Amino acid sequence: MSHTTTRRTPTVEVRPSENYGPLQVHPGPRLLDGISHGPSLAAHRAISGPLPDLDLAGMLGLLEDVNIRGRGGAGFPFTIKLEAAAGAKGRATVVVNASEGEPASMKDAAVALTKPHLILDGAVLTARVLGAKEIHLVLPGEHPAVRRSLTEAVAERERDGTDGRIKWRTHTADQRFVAGQARAVIELMAGRENLPVTSWGPEAHKGYKNRPTLLSNAETYTQVAALAALGGEGYRALGTEDEPGTCLLTVNGDGHRPQVIEVPHGTAWSDVLTDRVLDRPVLVGGYHGTWAAPSGLRDVPVSRSRMTDLGLALGAGVVLPLEPGDCPLHRTARVTAYLAGQSARRCGPCLNGLPALYDAVWAVHRGQDGSERIEQLGALLARRGACAHPDGTLRLVQSMMTAFGEEIALHADGHCSYVERASSHTNRSGDLTGATR
Amino acid sequence: MTKQLRVDWPSCKGRGLCHEILPEAIQLDEWGYPLVVSDIDEDTIGLAREAVKVCPTLALRMVDARR
Repeated sequence: MSHTTTRRTPTVEVRPSENYGPLQVHPGPRLLDGISHGPSLAAHRAISGPLPDLDLAGMLGLLEDVNIRGRGGAGFPFTIKLEAAAGAKGRATVVVNASEGEPASMKDAAVALTKPHLILDGAVLTARVLGAKEIHLVLPGEHPAVRRSLTEAVAERERDGTDGRIKWRTHTADQRFVAGQARAVIELMAGRENLPVTSWGPEAHKGYKNRPTLLSNAETYTQVAALAALGGEGYRALGTEDEPGTCLLTVNGDGHRPQVIEVPHGTAWSDVLTDRVLDRPVLVGGYHGTWAAPSGLRDVPVSRSRMTDLGLALGAGVVLPLEPGDCPLHRTARVTAYLAGQSARRCGPCLNGLPALYDAVWAVHRGQDGSERIEQLGALLARRGACAHPDGTLRLVQSMMTAFGEEIALHADGHCSYVERASSHTNRSGDLTGATR
Repeated sequence: MTKQLRVDWPSCKGRGLCHEILPEAIQLDEWGYPLVVSDIDEDTIGLAREAVKVCPTLALRMVDARR
């Protein structure tokens, strides 16, 4: 059943951008159903049917039955955002965040390229129940093909006139890790620099132009569209009691091309990944995610709550197996260097603390004792910034300390079980590149 | 309601005036940026207001304590 070996239906190959290369999108049971029929509105309507007629009470009723959590990484319940935006004073604005901050995440790009109208359906339904007149699409700066696909889908809908008086607005996010953060996105919409600013309250109350703003990740809107189309019971047909429905995963680094797959919640990771991958360390949840030790995912399901219990992050569904010949400590140092470089350099603790954190990780890789320094930096980084970039970087580093205790001890003795000793000590400047490899 | 000092991080330039006024609630980290270590009570609210007022980059705010 492993996705890399057997599949009944052929995959669809897409290219989010010229420099990224081809991405394999596997047909899925729900969101990625029928992707071989192309991204047109006609194809979409043939699969999903017409837009259901829903009011606020109806949507809240569905969401009471099925708790949809945001798919941008943090997993915030969509219901809470919707209720807050509906209850706040002023006309609401709906924002679709299709600018994935995690550079390794490709799931939103995959849906935008294969089923853009599913995203737009979810946004239109949400706008209608809120009485919103405008939907803002925030598009990824690094993926021109994704921008084209969503822009063309909007044009198709405008010609078709399906969305009534809803106005579509598009914005292009900067190519930067923190550009996709909620407050950074609202800054971009307001014509300011696309960087995080301090949030003094939920954007659902006061966001864009100080009005209620429902901002969610692109996949989240596809889940809303699926729920509206299927109803609570239909939606619950896949997934588990606690976490109904499916989720999208990006798998990159298992020796195959990067791929996006859709799996029901509760699916065993051993059914998703090959044995060869399960035997190796796997970075789950992306660069702000956590390391799973070798075999650490073997008896674990794809589940936000179960993984959280085990100290693992599902995040935005990014799965990065460690490549053969690479060392997890060295890999963590490279990713930390990359993340330090992605700081907006405006918040003091992030600007100073992330390079210090990189130094500490590098020290651990070199066999020195960095654990005390990492603990100390933890207190100086946690919740001390306009966004969670320092917190996410810290999570990655702390998970390295937890997952690779034995390996860290080996390094302290001058050994590495992943890389031959002769090649393990590359020069320091060379490590600052290649984190996104 | 208990009050809390919150830092607007992108605005804060680590000038340290808040720490000079209210060292019992605001320490400085190794880079000179404020570390808010306690909530504000009746005894400290006057100095806390002063700290908010003197910040040269207007980076300190007093908000209702969360949780």
